[in-house]
Amino acid sequence: MSTVRFAGISKSFGAVCALAPTDLDIPQGEFLTLLGPSGSGKTTLLNICAGYLAPSAGRLVVGGRDITSLPPRQRNMGMVFQSYALFPHMSVAENVAYGLTVRRLARDEIAKRVADVLHMTRLDGYGHRAIRELSGGQQQRVALARAMVIQPDILLMDEPLGALDRQLRKEVQFEIRRLHAARPRTTIYVTHDQEEALVMSDRIAVMRAGRIVQIGSGTDLYARPVDTFVARFLGESNLLAGTVDSIGGGRATLSVPGFAQPLDGRAADGLRIGAAACALLRPEAVRAQAGGLLAQVTERVYLGELVAVRLTLAGGIELWSRRLASEWSGRDGVEIGWDASAISILPDASIGS
Amino acid sequence: MIGKLSLNAFVALVAAFLVLPILAIVPVAFSAQSFIRLPPETWSLRWWSAFFGDASWRLTLLASLKVAALTTFISVLAGTAAALGIARSGPRGRALLTALFLGPVVTPAIVLAVALYSMARATGLVGTLTALVVAHTMLALPFVVLNVGVSLDGLDRRLLLAAEGLGAGSFHVFRTVTLPLIAPGVVGGAVFAFVTSFDEVVLSIFLAGPTVKTLPVRIWEEIRLEYTPVVAVGATVMLALALGAAGANRLLTRK
Repeated sequence: MSTVRFAGISKSFGAVCALAPTDLDIPQGEFLTLLGPSGSGKTTLLNICAGYLAPSAGRLVVGGRDITSLPPRQRNMGMVFQSYALFPHMSVAENVAYGLTVRRLARDEIAKRVADVLHMTRLDGYGHRAIRELSGGQQQRVALARAMVIQPDILLMDEPLGALDRQLRKEVQFEIRRLHAARPRTTIYVTHDQEEALVMSDRIAVMRAGRIVQIGSGTDLYARPVDTFVARFLGESNLLAGTVDSIGGGRATLSVPGFAQPLDGRAADGLRIGAAACALLRPEAVRAQAGGLLAQVTERVYLGELVAVRLTLAGGIELWSRRLASEWSGRDGVEIGWDASAISILPDASIGS
Repeated sequence: MIGKLSLNAFVALVAAFLVLPILAIVPVAFSAQSFIRLPPETWSLRWWSAFFGDASWRLTLLASLKVAALTTFISVLAGTAAALGIARSGPRGRALLTALFLGPVVTPAIVLAVALYSMARATGLVGTLTALVVAHTMLALPFVVLNVGVSLDGLDRRLLLAAEGLGAGSFHVFRTVTLPLIAPGVVGGAVFAFVTSFDEVVLSIFLAGPTVKTLPVRIWEEIRLEYTPVVAVGATVMLALALGAAGANRLLTRK
């Protein structure tokens, strides 16, 4: 178990930059998720940590020791692959025992540890099964057991739930969360699924085009995204494009065509007066409010306990609201509003960089 | 209906065309007559005792088995290593190396034979076991490279990364992961190598000598002298071995 420090780590393939110079510190026992779309560099960062890829520049320091040029087999990290990469010619127990056999542990010690980890991952009694006899969820757990049984300093997971159906994915998310809580181990988890990231992580690093755009707890990222990319990637968002009017005291105002008054909100970094920006208004903040703005309900989507409603304002502006189903039942002509604190003014990530 | 019937009949005809001439040799081996005629009028095992009772026939069979075994051994070792190397090389090196290793298969046998014969003469190797094994290995090696290559193409590289990440050194990864997973290709290559060597004639006629002679060479010589059913016995023995090898391949590589 160890702290991990990426110091100026970068990776280029020829002229293509897969990862811009990146600094990242992960404290002992933290569950960190690298969240981003495909091609954002998250798997590159993970593979550099595992030693499967050599960085073009920078140093990787684990527990105070520079391991940049150490081969994967000497790093004592447990990797869970997206495809699981289980050895098809070995039984479940042989797969799990592989890392222990390599370490030349005594036979009964291996048997004991394998039995323990199979119990922990709820695979008791599956030791003698062949891999192809297992369901996807069971294979996933074998992969996790094989990575954990070597008691790795760092656990690495590359979209391990990608191949599972939604219900199973949820179960395994909570399973991983439970296992991590029972025994915190420095973990780097790669996914493009925001829900996975929110359920399991201590911190989330949102990546885009080979860079970490923002890093923080799920709450941080959701409440205070640094730009529209992060806002879009975590949760649903209404983004209203406009021009920055004023900045000051951590707040900014934005003129949005169709709104008589500029919108006032928390200012993110990187805003300039007169430049284009967006106002972020989360759908759950948009509510019915007597005496508010006039709007027409133009679409209703039932989501079970919640309902998503598309509201069209006088100027043709559209906002989505997600509230309890009872709130938007009834008439189509409504008056709406939101708390002033619900708005953030963010630089538009699609413009420039 | 009629279309299907005539199709079946056509398929049966083609199959008969392919297989009958080969199978026709088998009854001849059990003939009691002194000459080859189909079908034999009376039956006996006299030509079998003639074959196995004659030390020269036994020696050629033994020589054939010895050459084939050595050829297989060398081809499997070198061919597997070559396939591993090819799999690791870049796209251009891969094309070049594959062409190089498959060269002996597309070269006309007689060209190869003349070339090898001149070299064997120069080095005094004509009529030795070594010459036959070297020549047969040239023909057999490509089959191992091909078979193992196909297995390697189907091997998930992430399995090797996983093994390495779990702490295994490269030889341990090879022994515990790569080899078991490409074993069907290695076995298939070995069977091909064995059969290739066992029924090779052209190179062997040039390189065999009075002391070291393989079975097909002996059969060929025998036919030119006298045309007796003992030749059919030799051919049947070869056929049985080839079928046995193919059967063993099926059994060993069955999933």
